[in-house]
Amino acid sequence: MSVHNITVKQILSRIRQVFPDVPETYVMNLINDALVEAGVYNSKIVRAKISTAADQMWYNLRDIAKDSSNNVLEVNKIFKVYFMDNDGDYIQIPRLINTNILLTDVTDESVLTVPDSK
Amino acid sequence: MASNIKYPEDSCRWFIEGDDFALLTNVDSSGTVNTTERKSWKAIQESVTDGILLCYYAEPNNVTSLGDVPDIDNSLHLALVDYVKKCLYMDEAGQSQDPNSSAVNVNMSMMHQNRWDESIKKFGMRKRDKTGGSRVILPSDFR
Repeated sequence: MSVHNITVKQILSRIRQVFPDVPETYVMNLINDALVEAGVYNSKIVRAKISTAADQMWYNLRDIAKDSSNNVLEVNKIFKVYFMDNDGDYIQIPRLINTNILLTDVTDESVLTVPDSK
Repeated sequence: MASNIKYPEDSCRWFIEGDDFALLTNVDSSGTVNTTERKSWKAIQESVTDGILLCYYAEPNNVTSLGDVPDIDNSLHLALVDYVKKCLYMDEAGQSQDPNSSAVNVNMSMMHQNRWDESIKKFGMRKRDKTGGSRVILPSDFR
């Protein structure tokens, strides 16, 4: 037994009850727009691992960022972060509220995002 | 490979700035505290494979063919129909020469917009919440 899902074709047929001449490519584009908007809310939850690098403070979360297994992260909102302890277990770590910190190491500055050269 | 940090809940912090995730610590690569009161946090001092586990809301995959099933919970699939309809009705309203017809299309668009907002923004979290059963209340222990 499987759950009831609606395919793009079924969505299109429902749309064509009202708009019989609408092109399927346009409907597909609108569905993708809807999925982007739905992704901002609690619609798909993912857990991913990334590796740390010594003296690197910033880790990129842009649309092209990848995890340790080279999968694209596609992050919208992070709500929990765990860090591996000395036993190899993941322990949840708190979010820093006051982010007005001092960068204490000169090595931290070597990995800051710099402006584009072009 | 495990890290050298024994208590990450005390020694590590994170925050987000724009598209960047910052990981901070107050210990060095051997797990010894190496910060001061003034300079309380610095970048992680060691390389740890798979050291960070993130839980997050992710972008659903896009659809590319008619046979694709949208990459969100099936309780939210019908909302996609509303999204498409609200866009199409607004398109119709913009193209229509008849003001009455245009007004009707705008109203229909608004109706589907409201249904989309309720399905995804207002009740989306409740709709796909998998928590069930009775709740147990634990009273405070005042001893």
